[in-house]
Amino acid sequence: MGQFIQFVITRATMALITLLTVSLIVFTLMELVPGTCAERYLAFKNTQGSQITIADIEAEERRLGLDRPFPERWGKWVYSVFVHGEFGDSCILRLNINQLLADKFWISLGICMAALLLSYAIAVPIGIISASSRSPVTNNTLRFVSYLGLALPNFLLALIIMLIATVYFGESLTGLYSKELRDAPWNLAKFKDFLGHAWLPVFILGWSATAFALQTVRALMLDEIGKLYVTAASARGVSGARLLWRYPAKHSLGPVINSLGFDLNRIFNELPIVALILTLTEAGALLFESLARSNDQQLAGAIIFLLTASIVALNFATDILLALIDPRVRRGMMG
Amino acid sequence: MLWRRKATAGVDQAAKEAYFTASQGQLIWSRFSSNRTAMIAAWALVLMIFMGLFAPFLSPYDPTIAGRDEQYENGPPQIPKFWDENGFSWRPFIYATERERSMATNFRWVITENRDERLYMQFFTRDWDYKLFHLDYDLPGKAFDVDFALISSDIHLFGVQGGQIHLFGTDASGKDIFSRTLHAIWTSLAVGTLGVFISFVLALIIGGVAGYFGGWIDSVLQMITDAIRTVPSIPLFMALAAFMPDTWSSETRFFFISIILGLIGWPTLARRIRTHLLTERTQEYVLAAELSGAKPGHIIRRHLLPSFTSYIIVDLMISFPYMVRSETALSFIGLGLKDPVNSLGALMQNVSKADVLLNYQWYFIPVIFFIALVLAFVFVGDGLRDAADPYSDTKK
Repeated sequence: MGQFIQFVITRATMALITLLTVSLIVFTLMELVPGTCAERYLAFKNTQGSQITIADIEAEERRLGLDRPFPERWGKWVYSVFVHGEFGDSCILRLNINQLLADKFWISLGICMAALLLSYAIAVPIGIISASSRSPVTNNTLRFVSYLGLALPNFLLALIIMLIATVYFGESLTGLYSKELRDAPWNLAKFKDFLGHAWLPVFILGWSATAFALQTVRALMLDEIGKLYVTAASARGVSGARLLWRYPAKHSLGPVINSLGFDLNRIFNELPIVALILTLTEAGALLFESLARSNDQQLAGAIIFLLTASIVALNFATDILLALIDPRVRRGMMG
Repeated sequence: MLWRRKATAGVDQAAKEAYFTASQGQLIWSRFSSNRTAMIAAWALVLMIFMGLFAPFLSPYDPTIAGRDEQYENGPPQIPKFWDENGFSWRPFIYATERERSMATNFRWVITENRDERLYMQFFTRDWDYKLFHLDYDLPGKAFDVDFALISSDIHLFGVQGGQIHLFGTDASGKDIFSRTLHAIWTSLAVGTLGVFISFVLALIIGGVAGYFGGWIDSVLQMITDAIRTVPSIPLFMALAAFMPDTWSSETRFFFISIILGLIGWPTLARRIRTHLLTERTQEYVLAAELSGAKPGHIIRRHLLPSFTSYIIVDLMISFPYMVRSETALSFIGLGLKDPVNSLGALMQNVSKADVLLNYQWYFIPVIFFIALVLAFVFVGDGLRDAADPYSDTKK
């Protein structure tokens, strides 16, 4: 037990170090954007009619602490993010980022997690069946679908679905809520309405994740199914689904759990683009907005950091989970 | 496959001999060429590369705004015909078009075909000037400017008499989508190649150093690599691409995008190189070289890297479609390449508009080429991976 706690602590420290490195990368990126927050804010004020001087900009920079050296500012940012969970104010919108993001980030995360779940709900059974089947038709179809998952990026799939929907059904299938409920507070009706709209982004985001997951599950299953213990079990009279589930499936799913973090990464990749096409109003769209349109470095940095943090958290959780369910991993990792 | 069948038959001694004396390259080629899917994909790939390479010759019109057809904006594809109700013709033809805008058409330009007036296709026609194998980059700094062309000409494969032919239709400003697609294939390939090259060099240096020295250098480099791998790459691409000022020329944008792709693409490859080096460097031949006084750089270059050149090539091939995909995604959302550079992503920029979805579906034709290009790369990459793996036969 003591060993296990030690293992958890080591993993948690490693996750924290990764997060710190990521925060450094993200913060440096934010700094590299031409122009500081102060300049941008005052440029905005300038358009409103007030005269701005160099002295004003400098005063504003001092107020925002932008005249401090880089490591100090990074330290401050990291401190407020890690200790208070506070991302500061958005540069352009002049709003608190936490308020701005609030449920939008959770909605995005929920949609992405649902896509991840969906992809494995499809990939695990089909992957196992296809690995045990000898039929060339099944295998070739599967291979084709997996390749299509790569060749047809999610945003293209979204476009094609929209093309078909507009041409044949006259519906555009965009957005996350119906018009009447957009600004309503959360309640059962809005939630139902949300589910009615959210299935499409979930499906589209899950698309290439499913293709990749299928390939992984199938390859791992193929490796296990040829092993001697499976032959031994079938010689003892275990057969059919019982044979597959009891023995090889159990073993081949370990590495799958391990790769969940990277699958989530892949889904996040598509999030801003799919959000753009389907005109969703959540964190992905906000990220696109802040990067492509308004150049809002604070907001963009916060979103990228949050996305990465959820991947790191998932990686940490799967590591622990794997150590809990698989004694081989436990032994290997704890020595 | 072929080799094995002959070897097990045990009659053809010569084939057996050839198998055992064949070089690594010959073995890989023989395995690759017996994989039918991979061969078809390879031919498709070669075809597309040539289409891109000779794009100016194959495309009848200038893909930039200079080659626009004012009389045929948002025009549907024109397919050459050999016969119609007025009879048969050996020379393929299309119909002349007219457009009008009036009360009757709700003040939209409407294009109608005049089925009585045929425009016959001609081959090797003269139109706009172009240069093949043309390098002309106006980079920041005079010393980097390049201007070099091998062939310059104005002959194009086909055209049409007394009008213009648009095989894939035209876009909103009357640019020929067929010409744009061909040029876009080349741009996307070029961006991908440059990106893969940059990420390859980075991966080689970082992975090589980490794998060869091991210890704390390895730990630190691994931490950085892992951190970069954890950040979702497209948001990172977007963040980097957002730095590009709008004032940059299209060439500068092109190079910047390639550099970004390279800068973000290296971690996966670096990791593989590191893992391989870590296992190889404990082998006896490395020890022998070290005892003979060889320097680390020499050992990495001359002994360790050649031991897995084939894996590197396969990895590069596999990472290629990801590069093309990322570039397309970036250009698609408007953060990548822009007019007048034609890339597959830039061509897809307008397709999500409701107007296009409802009325101008031929905007989607470049999408087919994109899918074909990526699929071809994936199949060739997979075929190469199987071919380079000496145990691939026994695994199945």
